[in-house]
Amino acid sequence: MTGPTAREPEKREEREEREPAQRGPEKGEPEEADTGLARERTSLSWTRTAISFAALGGVMLRNNVISGLIILAVTPLIWRVGRLAVSGSPPGQLPVVGRNRILLITVSVVGVSLLCLFIALLGPAVPGALHREGP
Amino acid sequence: MSRSGRFAAWWPGGDVDPEEGHEPDPRFTFANERTFLAWSRTALALVVAGLGIVQLLPPFPRVPVGRHLLGVPLIILGAVLAIVAYGEWVRNQRALRRGDPLPRSVMPWILAATIAGMAIISAIVLLISALR
Repeated sequence: MTGPTAREPEKREEREEREPAQRGPEKGEPEEADTGLARERTSLSWTRTAISFAALGGVMLRNNVISGLIILAVTPLIWRVGRLAVSGSPPGQLPVVGRNRILLITVSVVGVSLLCLFIALLGPAVPGALHREGP
Repeated sequence: MSRSGRFAAWWPGGDVDPEEGHEPDPRFTFANERTFLAWSRTALALVVAGLGIVQLLPPFPRVPVGRHLLGVPLIILGAVLAIVAYGEWVRNQRALRRGDPLPRSVMPWILAATIAGMAIISAIVLLISALR
């Protein structure tokens, strides 16, 4: 996780030793003051991920109410974790990027996959629910 | 790097020092995070597709296990993609901190190979079910 030392301003010598791609925007560049667009895109990405979980939870509700509710319960947690990452640091500085936050998503997706696998193999099915009979 | 070393490097609290190297440009950190989230959504989409195939599609004539043959691999692929995406995020973040070139991603290869395999299986199942 990003520690307090990583948030301190860099020393100029250290900064100039690094490759241009690593050292980030120079003074005076628009990105130097604010990484707002990247931050906003990442925030939207977290929101889309939370919505994906909600959609999957909704689908699961048709087949297994408890499983669907479990997945739906994960949705606000993911949304909240995403908001923490975005709002936890001032503009122009690094987000609070923690491995545990990323790991939470991974564990959630793997857990949901295993749940779906269990339901697919052993749960009740509605074969032909997508097949509409003609008039 | 040995196999156990590679595993430790992926695991949280493994052999990666969070303070090693330099803090990369925030935009790169954000981009790495977005890439991980995009792969996670792809994994979820695969899981939904697999579950939908098994639970909702009509049975294939003459191929009673056809729906499971198509749906279960997609669900498993979803889990695999999520795990590999985490490993890629760790490797990319480490490379950014060290200033190393970004490692080559195996995710597109996994996805392309699986989709091609699923297309072949789908064609076979459909052909068998169409034969009267």
